[in-house]
Amino acid sequence: MKLTRIRLEQFRQFRQALEIGDLQAGINVFTGPNEAGKSTIVAAIRAAFFERHRSNCVDDFRPWGDSAASPTVELDFTIGGGDYRLTKSFLGKKRCELSVGTQALDGDDAEDHLARLLGFQHAARGASKAEHWGIPGLLWIEQGSGQEVGEAVKNATDHLRTALNESLGEVAGGGGDEVMAAVEAARNELLTVARAAPRGPYDEALKQANSLTGELRGVEAEVATYRQKVDALGLLRREHARDQAEKPSTRFREQQQAASDQLAAIQRIEEARAAEKLRAGEIEERIKLLRGQLDAFASQRQAAQTRATELESARQAQSAAAALVGQWMAQRTEAIARYEGARETLRLARQEDTRRGLTRQFDELRLKIDGSASALARADAEQATVIELRRQAVACEIGPADLEALREQYRQIRELRIRQQAAATRLHFTLDDGRRIEVGGESLAGTGELLLVEATTVIVPGFGTLVIEPGGTDLAQLGRQESELGDRHAALLQRLGLPSLDAAEARQQTHTQRLAEITTAAATLKALAPQGVDSLRSDLAALQARGGEIEATLRRLPPAVDCTAAPAPVSEAEASEEAAEKSLTAINDSLHSAQLAAGNAQTTFEGATRELASARALLDAPDRAEREATANRDLTDARAEQCTLSGRIEALRQQVSEARPEILKQDVERFRKSAEQHEKSFSERRDTLIRLDVELQAAGAQGLEERRAELTRDLAQAQRRAEELRRRATALDHLLTLLRDKRRALTRRLQAPLQKHLNRYLQLLFPQASLEIDENLSPGPLTRIGASGSESSAFDNLSFGAREQMGLISRLAYADLLQEAGRPTLIILDDALVHSDDDRRAQMKRVLFDAATRHQILLFTCHPANWRDLGVGARSLQAIGAAS
Amino acid sequence: MVRLLHTADWQIGKLFGQFDRDEAALLADARFKAVERLANLANEQRVDLVLVAGDIFDAQAVADRTIHRLFNAMAGFSGRWVLLPGNHDAALAESVWTRAARLQAIAGNVSLCLTPETLFLTSLGVAILPAPLTQRNTFSDLTEWFASARTPAGMLRIGLAHGSVQGILAEAVDSANPIAAGRAEQAGLDYLALGDWHGTRRVDARCWYSGTPETDRFRANDSGQALLVELNEPRALPTVRAIGTGRHRWRSDSQALQVPSDLEALLQRIAGYAANDVVQLSLSGQTDLAGQRRLRDAIGQAQGRVHSLLADVSALRLEPTSEDIDALQADGYLAEVVAELRAAQEVSDAQTARDALSLLAGILDDRRRGVGAGGAP
Repeated sequence: MKLTRIRLEQFRQFRQALEIGDLQAGINVFTGPNEAGKSTIVAAIRAAFFERHRSNCVDDFRPWGDSAASPTVELDFTIGGGDYRLTKSFLGKKRCELSVGTQALDGDDAEDHLARLLGFQHAARGASKAEHWGIPGLLWIEQGSGQEVGEAVKNATDHLRTALNESLGEVAGGGGDEVMAAVEAARNELLTVARAAPRGPYDEALKQANSLTGELRGVEAEVATYRQKVDALGLLRREHARDQAEKPSTRFREQQQAASDQLAAIQRIEEARAAEKLRAGEIEERIKLLRGQLDAFASQRQAAQTRATELESARQAQSAAAALVGQWMAQRTEAIARYEGARETLRLARQEDTRRGLTRQFDELRLKIDGSASALARADAEQATVIELRRQAVACEIGPADLEALREQYRQIRELRIRQQAAATRLHFTLDDGRRIEVGGESLAGTGELLLVEATTVIVPGFGTLVIEPGGTDLAQLGRQESELGDRHAALLQRLGLPSLDAAEARQQTHTQRLAEITTAAATLKALAPQGVDSLRSDLAALQARGGEIEATLRRLPPAVDCTAAPAPVSEAEASEEAAEKSLTAINDSLHSAQLAAGNAQTTFEGATRELASARALLDAPDRAEREATANRDLTDARAEQCTLSGRIEALRQQVSEARPEILKQDVERFRKSAEQHEKSFSERRDTLIRLDVELQAAGAQGLEERRAELTRDLAQAQRRAEELRRRATALDHLLTLLRDKRRALTRRLQAPLQKHLNRYLQLLFPQASLEIDENLSPGPLTRIGASGSESSAFDNLSFGAREQMGLISRLAYADLLQEAGRPTLIILDDALVHSDDDRRAQMKRVLFDAATRHQILLFTCHPANWRDLGVGARSLQAIGAAS
Repeated sequence: MVRLLHTADWQIGKLFGQFDRDEAALLADARFKAVERLANLANEQRVDLVLVAGDIFDAQAVADRTIHRLFNAMAGFSGRWVLLPGNHDAALAESVWTRAARLQAIAGNVSLCLTPETLFLTSLGVAILPAPLTQRNTFSDLTEWFASARTPAGMLRIGLAHGSVQGILAEAVDSANPIAAGRAEQAGLDYLALGDWHGTRRVDARCWYSGTPETDRFRANDSGQALLVELNEPRALPTVRAIGTGRHRWRSDSQALQVPSDLEALLQRIAGYAANDVVQLSLSGQTDLAGQRRLRDAIGQAQGRVHSLLADVSALRLEPTSEDIDALQADGYLAEVVAELRAAQEVSDAQTARDALSLLAGILDDRRRGVGAGGAP
C-alpha cells in the first residue's frame, strides 16, 4: 500500500484545506513543532479508515467553535496496482466515497470494502476502539505507545495467523488444546500442579494403603506374639505332662529320705561314741583323783620330816637369840652408868659456869650503879643551879617598857637639870681643909661647884646659914617640872624597887647574864641526863634492883665444890654427855632388836613344835596305810579300763568317718532342694499355663489372624487402587508433558517465518541476539550474548527504550509477514523512538531504512535533526500548511 | 460296605484381597456354602462318614463367629464327621480347635483327631488312623506310626493325613509336612485320605488327595471336588469317584494378540465366561484402537456378568493404525504425540507410554464421539 496524497479540510486546526501530495514509496518524514498538526494528520488518516462516516461520536474532528463544519479527509493510495481515492466527510455532510479505478463505492459499502482490504473492523456502534483496528492498529503507531505491543498484536492475531499459516490457528483453537486441557484437568486431579505430588484420590489411596500397612504390621506383630504364646503353651504343657508322669520331685524326696536315714544311723554311732568318750573322761578324772590321793600320802610323810628339821633349826635360832639379848643387857647397864656420870659432870660444869657469870655480872652492875649515882648527883646539882639561875633571872627581870620609861624620864630630868644649871646659880666653893659647909642639907668639903636652882639654905657651920635663892621663874618651873618628873621617876623606881636608872640598867644587864647562864646550865643538865633526871634516877633504881637480885642468886647457889681439878669446860662435858647418850640409845636399839628376834625365834620354835606334832599325828593315823593301799589298787584298775575304752572309741570313730556324715548331710540337702526346685517350677509352670491359657483364650476371641487376613485383603485392594492411580497419574503427567512439548515445537515451527523477519531486524540492533515469539505472536523474552554469557530477560522486564525498540522491530516483522501474505501494509510512526539513545537510534534508522525498502513509512517528528540521515528530505508541516 | 466322603482344605476364613471388596466377600462366603453343599452331598449319597483331611480353617485365630458358622454349615449332615487338623489349623496347645471346644461349637457327631491315636468307629467297623499336625510345620513323617497301629481284624483301616507325599507332587507345594510314598500299602491301610493339595489327585489306588471343595486359587487344577469312596471290605481296593462341589470356576487365561483373528478368538472366549467364573486374564501383544475399544467393551461387559474378572492388559501394546489416527482426528501436534507414544511403547518406560497412549486415545475417542453425537442431526 502506498499513500500518495492526503487532504484535510475543516479538520481540527486545519480549518482550511491542507494537502500533502507526492508521498514517496519509502520513508516520508514530516516535521513540525508541537501542535503543528502532526497528530491531527495521523488522526485524520485513522478517522478516514476506522470511523463510520455516519458516526456521531466524532465531534472532536470539528474545528473548535465551528459547529456547522464537515470535517473531510481525502486520501489517494494504491494497493496492488489499483489506484484508490477515499473521500470521507463527517458530521455536517456525512459522506463516504471510494473510487478504485473506474469502480466507485460509497457509504457503508465503501467502508466495508476498505475494512476487508486493510484488515480491520468497524465498531458496531460508537467510536472505533483499539480492538477494532486489526492490522492498521498494529502498524500505525500512535504517539507514546510504541512500547506497547501485546494488545495491538492481540487485535491483529487473526490476521497474523492467517498470514503465517492456516493450520497455526488450529494449534490453539483446534482439538489439541482441548485435549490438553482435558489431560491437564485429569492430571491435576491426581497430582499437584507445581510439584507433581500426589493429591486428591491418589493421595487418599496412598494414605489409605499406608495406614493399612501400619495397621497390618501391628496385627502381624500381635499374631506373632500370639503364635509365640501358643508355642510356649505347647512346650510348657508337654513339660508339665512329663513332670506329672515322671514326678521327679517324688524321686528326689525318696533319695532325700534314704540319705536322711543313713545319716540318722551314723548319728546313733556318733552318740555311742560320745557316751564312751564321756566314760573315758570320767575314768581319766578318777585316775587323776587317785594319783592325787597317793601324792598326798607321800607329801604327808615328807612334811613330817621337813617339820622335824625345821623345829631343830628353830630351836637353835631361839637359843642364839636369847644369848644375844643377855649380851646386850650387860652392855646397857654399863652404858647407863656412863651416861649418869657424864650428866653429873655436866651439871657441875654448868653450875660453876653460872656462878662465874653471875659474879661477873654483879661486878659490872656495881660499877654501873656507881657511875649512875654520880651522874645523878651531878645532874641534881646542875638542876638546882638551873633552878636558882631561873629564880635569879626572874628576880632581876625588868620590863623593857619600864626600862625605856625610866630612860626617857632620866633624859628629860637631865635636860631639865641642864636647863636649870644653865639658869641656876653656880656656887663654887673652895673650902679650907677641914671645913665644911652644908648646902641644902648636904655637907660639902674641898672645892667644888654647885648649881643652885632653888632657894637653898647653905649653912656654913660656924657662920650661920646662908639662903641662896636662884633668880627667875623658869627656874622655878623647871624645878617643879623636875621635881614632878623626879617624882614620877622616883615612883617608877620605887615600884620597880630600884634606886636608879643605873640600877635598872644593871639589873637589866644581870638578867641577861642570868639567862645565858641558864642556857649553859640547862645544856649541861641535858648532857648529864638526856632523859631527864628522873630517868637517871629510875635507871639507877633498876640497876640497884638487879644488883640485889644477882646478889641474891649468888647467895642461893650451892657452895662451890672444892675440887682439885679445875672443872671441865661445859662444852666438853656436854659432848661427853651426848656421846654417852648416843651410845646408850644404840645399845638400847640393839637390845630391842635382839629381844624381838628372840621373841620371833621363840614363836617360830613354838610353831614348828606344833606343826611337827600335827604332822606326826597324821602319820600316826590308824587307817592310813590301808587307804594308801586301796588307792594304789584302784589306780591300776582305772588304767586298765581307760586302755580298753580308747580302743573302743577309736573303732567307733573309724566307723563314723568312713560313713562321711557331712557328705550325707549335703546329699539330704541336695535332694531336698532338688525336690523343692521341681515342685516350685512345677507350680510356677502350672500358673504360667493358666495365665497363658487365659491370655490366649482372650486373644483368640479377637480373631487376630482373620483380622490380619482382612487387612491383607484391604491392603491389597488399596495398593491396587494406589497403583492404578499412580499409573494413571504417571501416564497423564507424561502425556501432558508430551502434549506441551509437541505443541511448543509446533508453534515454533509455524512461527518460523515471523521469526525470520524478526531476526533480520534484531541482528541489526543486537548481533547474535534472539527474540522469542510466544504463542500469541507477541514478543517474548529477549536473549542476548552479554559479558557473562547468554542473558535472557522477559519483554516486560526490558527497559522502556528497549521495549520501544523491540516493539518497533516486531511491528516491522509483522508488516513483512503481512506483506508476504499479500496484505497491504502502511507504517505510520508518530514521534517514534523518542526514548532511544543516539546509538540505538542510529541502529534503528538502519532498521527503518531496510523496512522502507518494502513498506511505505510515514514518520512524524518534532525532532527533525534526529532523522536527517534517513536519505530523504523532511517535509515541514508549517511549510505545507502555508503552501495550502 | 462303607461309603465315605473324602474332602479337605476348606480354608474357612480365607479372604481374597486380589478382588474387589464385594467379590472377595462373596468368595469368602462361598467357602461356607461349599461346606453346606458337602453336607447335602453326604446326605444325598448316604455316606457313613465324612473325612476332612486338614486345613479346615485357613487360620487359627479366626473370629468366634466364623467358628460357629462353620459348624452350623456342617449341621446339614448328621452322620459322623471326622476332622483332622492341618498346617493352617494345627492342633497346637491353643488352637482353633480348643477354642471351638470352649465355644461348645462342636456337635456330637463330629470327631476331632487332635492326637495321633486310633479312632475306633466300631459301629461302622472303621478304625481311623489320624496324623494330625501338632505344629505348624513338621519335617518328620507323622504317618510313621500307622504301620505299628494295631486294629482288630475285620475293621477297615483308614488313614487320615495332611501333607505332601514325597516324590510325587511338584516341588512348589506349600507344605513341608512329608508323607512317605506308599504309606497306605506299607501301613496296611485300606484307604489313606490326604489333604493339602488343593486339586483332586490320585496318589495310588488307596491314596488320594480330595482337593478343596471350593476352588480358592487360579493355579489349583482339578479342584472344587470331593471324593466319594466306597470300601467293600478290608484289603479290597476302594472305589473312588470325584464329585463336583465347587461353585466358582477359577480360570487363568492369557492371550497374546498378534493377528486380528487372535482378538476375535479372545472376544469369543470372554463372551464364554460364565456367571460363577472367577477369571484372571493376562493379555500381551498389540492391538489397534478399534481392537482396544472392543476389548475394553467386552471386558466391561464380562465384568458385569461373571463373578470376577481380573484383566491385566499392561503388557498389551496399543498400535493405532493410520485409520485409527484419522478416526481420532488427532491432527496437528496431537498426531505427533500419538506417534511418539506409539514409538515409546517399544523402549524404556513402555508402561507409561502405553498408559498414556491409551488415555489419549480414550480422550480423543470420547471427544470424537461427543462431537459426532453433537453434530449428528
